[in-house]
Amino acid sequence: MALPLPPGLTHAEVAFLAEMELVTVVPRQRLESIELLGGKTPPLRPPHRTDLPLWLALLLKKQRRANIAPPPWLHPSSLSEIIKRETKENPTTFSEPPPPPARADPSRPGIASRGRDHDNDDDDGDVILSAPFRPSCTADAPAGYLPYHWLEVAESLLAHAGDDVASLGASAGEVRGLLRDLVEVRAAKMRSSTSQLEGFGGGLMSLRGVGAMELAESRGFVLGVVDGVRKTGASTEAARREEEEERGQDDDEDGESDEEMGI
Amino acid sequence: MSYYDIDSILTDAEKIPCTFQLDVPDLGYLDNTPTQPLKAGTRVNLPLWLAEMLVIANSGDIEGKPFVTFDLPPGLGNDVVQALKADPRAVPLRDQSPHFYGLAARLMELLDEKELATVLRKTFVVRASEIALHARKVGGLGQHKGKSAAEEGCNLGIGGAGEDFLRGLDESERKLFRKAHDGAKSGKEWMEGIKKH
Repeated sequence: MALPLPPGLTHAEVAFLAEMELVTVVPRQRLESIELLGGKTPPLRPPHRTDLPLWLALLLKKQRRANIAPPPWLHPSSLSEIIKRETKENPTTFSEPPPPPARADPSRPGIASRGRDHDNDDDDGDVILSAPFRPSCTADAPAGYLPYHWLEVAESLLAHAGDDVASLGASAGEVRGLLRDLVEVRAAKMRSSTSQLEGFGGGLMSLRGVGAMELAESRGFVLGVVDGVRKTGASTEAARREEEEERGQDDDEDGESDEEMGI
Repeated sequence: MSYYDIDSILTDAEKIPCTFQLDVPDLGYLDNTPTQPLKAGTRVNLPLWLAEMLVIANSGDIEGKPFVTFDLPPGLGNDVVQALKADPRAVPLRDQSPHFYGLAARLMELLDEKELATVLRKTFVVRASEIALHARKVGGLGQHKGKSAAEEGCNLGIGGAGEDFLRGLDESERKLFRKAHDGAKSGKEWMEGIKKH
């Protein structure tokens, strides 16, 4: 009651977190490595591609010191493939999140400490890192999969590095159009996913593959629906529990009598 | 549910048709006959908080006969349930009771109506996705008034059936609408504001 904000992150907070994602830049000027709280950034040498956090990449882009290489999943053909998959092949579920980067290139230069982490999980093979620690928005990311922060990264790249996105082969407007379609398709799925709660027993909603921004948008609604279902079904649920408990007690009694017989 | 939850207080005040099974002296004023005892068989509309107490208090009567029985209010009656089964979206729940789901949940604690529970759950879920649809459509309403003809057009698009549906939402559904609407609205605001940073 005291907090004016609803539970969960707001859109601005999600967008802020998304700025920690690594993106690939093609520098135009030399820049020595900078010491940041998250570790050192790799030094920039003009023709070589380097992974930088999104916020730094956008800053350099605005100063015309670097170009951003958009992630492969932002390619129009990848986007239309995802749309096709979302509408035709799996019209009820969200498309899969990107596979864990087990086969990611270990020599890929990242921020120093993170780079070592990647080496480790390549060795272990079973460490699955979550959103900001996976290179899901760099130029090495797999095409055809939407990472956790897809909408935020795509929108900020379109807003601030539209010319770089256009270098993929389609105009920024076209990419934006595809993104809008994707947002609409997935929003419609989010709405209809509540219908999975319709019958008793099937009280699960699968939100696998949903992005952070979509979660921020639908959190209030989805929680409201689940809470409403809980309230309307509370008495039935209580009755069912009682029944189960009684049955459990019966079983216990049976068990005891069995033991007694054994003695 | 908090003690100060205004919706739960208002749900408590909803009237339930009750029938007295025994003569009760000094309760005649409930039936506008203050001088006479309340006769058995009188039907009185009692608020939920009172009806609940009377029904529970008498289930352990010596004769095994509760002195108040209650029926489902017309809003939860057979007609409405049949209509809900046919198409949950077509029933204006607000006309049945402004606190439809709250009332239904409270009554189901007293009654054991499996079928009603199933119908209600289906109703809620089906209407919820309809609510989300409308909440998203009106996302720009009020913000972009007179901005462009196209936007005006898409706002006008929800008139007619959509407005009727939204008018028929009960209180908890309105809250849900508000949540869905807020989410869609802040998403839109973020999307528009991204250029500025």
